[in-house]
Amino acid sequence: MKTVLDSIKPYTNGLRKVGLPPIGILLVILLALAPLALQSELWTRLLVDALMSASLAMAFDFTAGYINITNFGYAAFWGLGAYTSTILVLRIGMTPWLGMLAGAIAAGILGFGVGILTLRLSGIFASCMTWFVALVMMGVCANWTSLTSGNSGLIAPYLLNTDSNLPYFYIILIFTLIIYLGLVLLTKSHVGMAFKAIGQDSQAAAASGINITYYKVLNMTISCAIAGLIGGFYAHFVGILTPDLMSTSHTVESIAISTIGGRGSIWGAFVTALILIPSLEFMNSLMELRMIIYGALLILVMLFYPTGLAGACGSVYGYVKHKLTTSQRPMAG
Amino acid sequence: MGMLSFLNNIILTGILTGGLYALMAMGLSLVFGVMNIPNFAYGEFYMIGAYLAFFGIEVFGWGPIPSILFAMAGGFIFGAVIEKSLFYPLRQRSKENWLMNTFLLTLGLSIILQNGMVILYGANYHGITYFWPGNIRLGPVNISYDRAVAFLIAIVAIVLFSLFLNKTRTGRAIRAVSQDETGAKLMGIDLNGIHMLTFALSSLLAALAGASLLSISAAYPTMGVTPLYTSWFVLILVGMGNVEASIWGGFIVGILETLSTFYLGSGWQSAVSLGIIILILLFKPAGIFAKKGVKTVWE
Repeated sequence: MKTVLDSIKPYTNGLRKVGLPPIGILLVILLALAPLALQSELWTRLLVDALMSASLAMAFDFTAGYINITNFGYAAFWGLGAYTSTILVLRIGMTPWLGMLAGAIAAGILGFGVGILTLRLSGIFASCMTWFVALVMMGVCANWTSLTSGNSGLIAPYLLNTDSNLPYFYIILIFTLIIYLGLVLLTKSHVGMAFKAIGQDSQAAAASGINITYYKVLNMTISCAIAGLIGGFYAHFVGILTPDLMSTSHTVESIAISTIGGRGSIWGAFVTALILIPSLEFMNSLMELRMIIYGALLILVMLFYPTGLAGACGSVYGYVKHKLTTSQRPMAG
Repeated sequence: MGMLSFLNNIILTGILTGGLYALMAMGLSLVFGVMNIPNFAYGEFYMIGAYLAFFGIEVFGWGPIPSILFAMAGGFIFGAVIEKSLFYPLRQRSKENWLMNTFLLTLGLSIILQNGMVILYGANYHGITYFWPGNIRLGPVNISYDRAVAFLIAIVAIVLFSLFLNKTRTGRAIRAVSQDETGAKLMGIDLNGIHMLTFALSSLLAALAGASLLSISAAYPTMGVTPLYTSWFVLILVGMGNVEASIWGGFIVGILETLSTFYLGSGWQSAVSLGIIILILLFKPAGIFAKKGVKTVWE
């Protein structure tokens, strides 16, 4: 048994580096098979929702957990992606696939701009700036009715010509996995280290030779581009958009999921979304109660367990590993 | 003559609104300056004040003054309870990442309060037609009694509060804590008491604003979002932690808002606000009334 484990070790170590320890691979496989096993359109749709929220939360945490800027206007980038894609598809007949890409680019450009705007601002002011940008985006979206149909809603063409949610599930699963792998690779590289340095003490980081401007703007652009991509997917999955996609309550969901999952932990956000979204939907259909639970969990995590789910799992894992290794050590003499 | 009276009307509305903004901004600035907490649940205290006043009038059948006083007291107690149960434990636990943690905490609080209110009383508007019926004429303009009284309440509250901060022992203690917490502790000031008092006072101010405006803007669960946004706008405009300047800022924003709403319509008005904020943050980041020692916006 031991030799078998040893022989696959090089592979598992390699995969671990991209954030896929064996248990992760197992969970991904289970996730991929879940809709086939459950055979329920409702559940598949829930999983699509969960995966979209997971991607958003991961990309959000990429900014909040690393360069320590809470992008309080995050939903506006998501909404921008959705609207950009839809408008391009409707106006110039682009295919929705390219539309999603265009949404990502548009959101990335706005993210670039906001990154520059918030460059010299410290934590809370940067967050306020992003918040104000989102409020304006929402206002523009609601008032520029000739372009966006404002509050009456904009109908978006579907991505695929099918009634089933299953193909959408696999598409978003692939997107989410790519996003996960990409973000993990970035955060485990020197880029991620630069982000963390900036997040903890940007003066020290600058003194160590890190180009703050480059890394901050890079981070915001990537995070917002991802939001735009998911927004594009959302548009062509759900089929209708309203300006209040950009409202703060959607950002709050990403904040809650990434914080409960553990700030700075990409997989934490992923898993939390997959747990929270279906279970909240399952528990009750009252939107307000769901939001209250988000809020309460946020407060409880902040007060009692700031490292979140990832921290808890880390502690448990460390404890279990300690117990297993110490019990295996042979007695001396 | 027509144009002048028209402009007068707008400026007057701006000043009246500004008074309430000044009141709210004062409370937000106080909590940020003294406790370093960016209170994103501030709008919910405003909402609670409005609801409490509504209950006073409609449910308990009191008159306007007792209802408003009830809202004030309720706001004060509520603020004290929140501080003791949420921020006090966090202070004991760890001051690391304080700004971000408290921000997230107030965010969670705001969600709970907004949605809790929806569950408790529904998302409908709960309003009253008037506190005091009738209008008064100030030259060419007509103002409703309610608006005038709300403004008066705001002015009186602002003046009393400024006197409190500057002339009384407790007020000076609060200012001491905002300037240098350790120094204040060395002088024998009870930090926990001051923190609780500060937060309770700030909630009182917000609740007062919400209650006074009940007849003008009915109570509904998400009514606190716009006042929150406006108060933060004022704070960034004048510079954080500068309580006196936030009073002037409130008036400036009130007039600005009324003017831009008139000329641009309420939809585009937020674009104007943002444009101004961006300019301020880029060129005069400490706020237009920056003074030495005020917490700066830069890293």
